[in-house]
Amino acid sequence: MLTPNMHNNYWRELTRNNFGKLGLVLLCLVLVIAIFAPFLARYDPGEPSHSILMPPSLAHWLGTNDIGQDIWSRLLCGAKNTLLVALGVGVFTTILSTVIGASAALVGGLYDKILMRVIDALIVIPAFIVIILVAAYVLPNVWTLIFLISILTWQGGARLVRAQTLSLKERMSVYAARTFGANKLYLVIRHIIPDLNPILFAVFIHSATRGVFMEAGLAFLGIADISTVSWGLMMHHALRFYYLDVWKWWLIPTGLALSATIMALVFIGHAFETAMDPRLREMEQEEWQC
Amino acid sequence: MLELRELEVSYGKRKVLHGINLNMKRGESLAIVGGSGGGKTTLGLSIMGLVEGTVRGEILLDGTNLVAVPEKALRKIRWNQIAMVFQNVENALNPVYTVLDQVSEPIVAHNLRDRYDAKRRAEELMKMVNLPEGRFLAYPHQLSGGEKQRVLIAMALANDPDLIIMDEPTTALDALTKVEIINLICNVRNERELTILLLTHDLYAASMLSDRMAVLYAGRILESGFTPALLSNPRHPYTRGLIRCYPNMTTTKDLQGIKGMMEFLDTGCPFHPRCTQSIGICREKAPKLEENDGRFIACHRGGIIPLLEVRDVSKTFDSVKAIDSIDLTLYEGETLALVGESGSGKTTTAKTVIGLFEATEGQMYLEGKRILDRDKNFYRRVQMIFQNPMEALSHRLSVQEAVKEPLDIQKLGNREQRESMVRHILEEVELPSTQSFMNKYPHQLSQGEAQRVGIARALILNPKLLIADEPTSALDASTQAKVVKLLLNLQEKRGIGMLFITHNLALARKISDRLAVMLKGNIVEEGPSNEIISSPLHPYTEDLLKAAPTLSANVPVVPTNNKNDGQGCPYANRCSKATEVCFKEKPKLQSCSSHRVACMNLKPEKEG
Repeated sequence: MLTPNMHNNYWRELTRNNFGKLGLVLLCLVLVIAIFAPFLARYDPGEPSHSILMPPSLAHWLGTNDIGQDIWSRLLCGAKNTLLVALGVGVFTTILSTVIGASAALVGGLYDKILMRVIDALIVIPAFIVIILVAAYVLPNVWTLIFLISILTWQGGARLVRAQTLSLKERMSVYAARTFGANKLYLVIRHIIPDLNPILFAVFIHSATRGVFMEAGLAFLGIADISTVSWGLMMHHALRFYYLDVWKWWLIPTGLALSATIMALVFIGHAFETAMDPRLREMEQEEWQC
Repeated sequence: MLELRELEVSYGKRKVLHGINLNMKRGESLAIVGGSGGGKTTLGLSIMGLVEGTVRGEILLDGTNLVAVPEKALRKIRWNQIAMVFQNVENALNPVYTVLDQVSEPIVAHNLRDRYDAKRRAEELMKMVNLPEGRFLAYPHQLSGGEKQRVLIAMALANDPDLIIMDEPTTALDALTKVEIINLICNVRNERELTILLLTHDLYAASMLSDRMAVLYAGRILESGFTPALLSNPRHPYTRGLIRCYPNMTTTKDLQGIKGMMEFLDTGCPFHPRCTQSIGICREKAPKLEENDGRFIACHRGGIIPLLEVRDVSKTFDSVKAIDSIDLTLYEGETLALVGESGSGKTTTAKTVIGLFEATEGQMYLEGKRILDRDKNFYRRVQMIFQNPMEALSHRLSVQEAVKEPLDIQKLGNREQRESMVRHILEEVELPSTQSFMNKYPHQLSQGEAQRVGIARALILNPKLLIADEPTSALDASTQAKVVKLLLNLQEKRGIGMLFITHNLALARKISDRLAVMLKGNIVEEGPSNEIISSPLHPYTEDLLKAAPTLSANVPVVPTNNKNDGQGCPYANRCSKATEVCFKEKPKLQSCSSHRVACMNLKPEKEG
């Protein structure tokens, strides 16, 4: 269980941790790529050409694919898609988790009970399979996909937020605010949400990671709108030419990019958890001392 | 015998006495008490006809109105019927005559006896007041204060008056001499069936010498009644203040003063600027002295008001009765200490009163009005101090933000007003109001500072009722002493009623007017603190007292806590006096002398 303690500067804790530093650097790199992709790309990533399945050359740094698109340009533009999914799923899932988890904890009673049973029911549904089923009918574009992933994966976060809110609302400082005549809205905005922040960040990172992973996985299986420039989709296409040498410059760079992004998110999450859990932090410090 | 009707005395434009009504029967002793400057001496002098100001109203001595009697006739009455023991022992005697001469003087002056007989009579009197024989021919400066006082009493008795007015007869005396003089007055009074009008600010003398008492403040009588009842249960805020600031061996609470200074006011209740429960009408109209439940009180609010009444309140968690129909009354400006071991339901009571828990049963009243919903208005009048100051402060609010929070929630004042209020309240709780202190966060504060911030938060809304839940248990002794003093000072200044929850009986007795002892959700004993401490009636209270901290080296023997069957008396299992019935039946809280006690063993005593 993550317990936010008194007045930690989480950002400092995060940057002090080596994993955290590495994660942040990687994520920034991906971010820069995503932002400057239009300037860095040498070709329109969606534009086909006659030179197909070309090996790397000066004209095409990573060669071309089966319909003559420049792989380097597609790799750069794929970053945007991945980050969009990470951000979208992260934000959307966190909002869903917060609203549902916090309201269940604060309202309590029957409302809480019903919501918790709903979560129990939803949590056993394998999100991945449902999405495959749905996607079989509608090849989802990136927004649909974000929506689908979020709507099927908020339950864990909601449980976390609910548990934390339950403990927060029993804090003496919240009781004290109640004895000044504060209403529920004030308590939520001024006392509960600010103290939920660390856990919301954790939920955000966690669902962003899962979002990236699921998007890539689905695209890898070919379940994606073909017009999107997605790393998963690129790998899906690359695999069809496994018998050629193309995987060296088509599959591996794409896989590495994807892995780096996921690793960045996982490292940040891990560093953050360490920063928030005093026991983990101590272990870490001992390791450093050794 | 003596009756005053609407007596008014003024010096020039300044009215010193306002509409005094008094009635004394023969042989009765009435004490007029009050702070100095309240008009006591003027009252005495006006009865003697010696006052220099203008007197209006009637002073009836056996039906004769002394105000209308001409000076010549008055002289006959003076010393023959009414005598006075003057206050200032140093100046009341003439330094150039021997005391024997002076005592015989009134006898001679009234032509009762010749000079020789008068001296014999004077010697008799001086023997009677136990003046050593060798002292009869001494000059006043050769006598001690106590001896001079005896001479003055002998002088007052010279012509066998019916009524003696004694103005501060014991004030300047040391304790033993004081007791001697008091004994002397008692003896004289019994022998001669004297009527005594005692004017004093010495409550000890008043309690020993008077049957009835009247409290005079700024020329008005604020309360009057029978002496023991008035002292043990003062009903006017001023009377309570007088008793609180009088050092004595009976009360256990620390001394507290009365805020402000005495003023003579032409309109309104004279006490209202210093009264902590004054309302609009107190400023406009002077209250009349009216009978109320066997006592005469001049107060628009009918005396000290009950601030919080808790009636049969229970709180059940699932099936556990945390508090079991408790009944408490807390008066304005008073501290009610709730003591008991941990788990006895003290904190539950506090949280139920403030509304953090909802009562399962029962009603609560604030200033006589039933508490129905706890809105912002309620929390403006009722505040709480929490046990652990660090927890009660949000770790993300600075001192300034934390203290300002109640104002933000209540939407009081604008930004600047709020900030100046914060600075003001910080000074009041003796914290620095510098910007650098206000920017500190809770983890940068010491425990004592954090608790002061907690107190500042609770007081910034100016509440009438303060619930303090073990406010000092997390503090070390020296910090605790400071916080407790602070709370008592604030009580004196603002008239806050305090529900003080503590397991520390030694602390409770220093700060509380009343004590309620809780055990397993029940109140087992309740009453004035001094009486509970000096003569506990419930075995549990006795054991708590044994366990209370002392500085002697004896290890007290107290029973260990066993499980209770739940059926009978909550203390049955640990009680050394428990009988069979204690395990079967739960005793009810019943009045027993000035306490209320719930114990089976007291029943036969009371019936018998």
